Amino acid sequence: MKDKMEKINDYEWLLPKSARKEMRVDGKLFGNQAIFDQVESDTMGQLSNVCCLPGVIEPVAALPDAHFGYGLPMGAVAAFDAEEGVISSGLCGFDINCGINSIRSNLMVKDIEDKKRELVTELFKTVPCGVGSKGKLRLDDKIDDVLELGAKWAVENGYGTKKDLDRTEEGGCMQGADPKKVSELAKKRGRPQCGTLGAGNHFLEIQRVAEVFDETAAKEWGIDQKDSVAVMLHCGSRGLGHQVASDYLKIQEQAVKKYNIWLPDRQLACAPATSDEGQDYFSAMKCAVNYAFANRLIMTHWIRETFEKVFGQDWESMELDTIYAIAHNVVKKEEHRIDGKKKEIYVHRKGATRAFPDIPVLIAGTMGTSSYICKGTEIAMEKSFGSSCHGAGRAMSRHAALKGFKGEEVSDNLLKKGIVSKATNWKSLAEEAPGAYKDVDEVIESVHGAGISPKVVKLEPLGVLKG
Amino acid sequence: MKYEYIDDITSDVKFRAYGNNLKELFENAALALANIFCESDKIQNRKTIEISVEGTDRSDLMVNWLTNIIAEVDIEEMFFCGFEIVEVSNTILRAKAFGDDISPELGGTVAKAVTNFNFELKETKEGFMVQVVIDI
Repeated sequence: MKDKMEKINDYEWLLPKSARKEMRVDGKLFGNQAIFDQVESDTMGQLSNVCCLPGVIEPVAALPDAHFGYGLPMGAVAAFDAEEGVISSGLCGFDINCGINSIRSNLMVKDIEDKKRELVTELFKTVPCGVGSKGKLRLDDKIDDVLELGAKWAVENGYGTKKDLDRTEEGGCMQGADPKKVSELAKKRGRPQCGTLGAGNHFLEIQRVAEVFDETAAKEWGIDQKDSVAVMLHCGSRGLGHQVASDYLKIQEQAVKKYNIWLPDRQLACAPATSDEGQDYFSAMKCAVNYAFANRLIMTHWIRETFEKVFGQDWESMELDTIYAIAHNVVKKEEHRIDGKKKEIYVHRKGATRAFPDIPVLIAGTMGTSSYICKGTEIAMEKSFGSSCHGAGRAMSRHAALKGFKGEEVSDNLLKKGIVSKATNWKSLAEEAPGAYKDVDEVIESVHGAGISPKVVKLEPLGVLKG
Repeated sequence: MKYEYIDDITSDVKFRAYGNNLKELFENAALALANIFCESDKIQNRKTIEISVEGTDRSDLMVNWLTNIIAEVDIEEMFFCGFEIVEVSNTILRAKAFGDDISPELGGTVAKAVTNFNFELKETKEGFMVQVVIDI
């Protein structure tokens, strides 16, 4: 499919609908030459599949971090007409509201240098990490409240503040979440896990502001001081979200038959946007989104408490304020300008970050490399349904990483760069070795060059915690 | 061979499990999955749970069985070291799963879900083979 693509400009590539007779609309890839050279033809094949779905709105866009996924590539956005289109559990993926909370501080690198190891060790004790990590919080009969209220529930129960909610996508609570649409099995999985990081590519990082590109935005967000300390937390809706996705994939597979929808790939399970199967999924997904917002804010509270313990000051005096909190696996009903007219559409972001004008876009790098905070733009509204990339993307399987890297060596190499790392076991460090990922800098240059989310600051790790 | 991991998927885990009969096939597929979560050979057999699942056919039953094991890791907060299929047909399965409370230092990674990608369950000369891709 890649051979059918045409260069539009230095940062955009067209996958014309003429590439395949079933395609209803064009696809597009955002990326510089290096990204285009790297992207797999199969990834573009998946993009073309989504271009065939009913009610799809032009263009289905792959972002520079796009890689082969299930149905839709990871690192892509697809939008559908609210009447004629579909809502798809397959397009959102399994880790609903996998996302990032970024926190700033007035601490400088020199203030934490002597206590960096202690800080990482204490955070590791406080924030439950790893597969099956046991939460300190048991939701029991409160689970429905969390699903309905999200991060608002967290604030009402003493985790985080109203100011945190103001700095969270959707105010930390998607309206219209209906816990009755979530299976008992999903709730059972969710009860013990709220306030846990999980494993895999999820992480908690202590970072420093390494470079400032946009002084004005950086100042407004309180991250204009080079070498000031920040925190980045990356995780999602845990087992609850995975179960919601699994449950509705099955329901929507049946819906595909019921409504006679032609699918080029079974993994694109979906249902008409106005059908029960579409709306029930949307309500259940919102519950998982809310759970994840609460999950990350609860951990933010524990991170603040740990800083207080290690540095002997209250968190307010260290100004450990939320820069922003975002989702990068989500379906949203949003108003966009389509063919010159304002229209409500369902935007599916899979491994994609909302990039609305002047709002922070949080992009995670890998252990030992850089992360970035960028800024959404009007150009993103025009070109990518207000969306940008979410990270670096894997270049090597976990199995290959385990063969290629040893956890102890990964840890030593990080330490040589001044990065203290801690993981539940060596294996998870090896699996997430920086060398197993693509170069995040090319990804960032692409979204910057395309104008969909110019760079504001670059962040580099000082300490890393892996599940 | 009970099962093997196929290293051709960049971001996830693919395995093939084998069995001379359906019982062995379901047992070995479960072992391949359990070994993603943890070093299952180091897990003690201290706790037993019972799992019953249904499916519309063999493939659906397999997906539901594996999905159920993923859920039980969260719910029971345990790692598994072995499975015994008590009864299996094309549409019903009853089994026992053995293991211990989770110990994070023996943990691997979180298996998020069973996907449809490249899924295949077929009869072979020796018995059965299933190929599964797990989203992690």
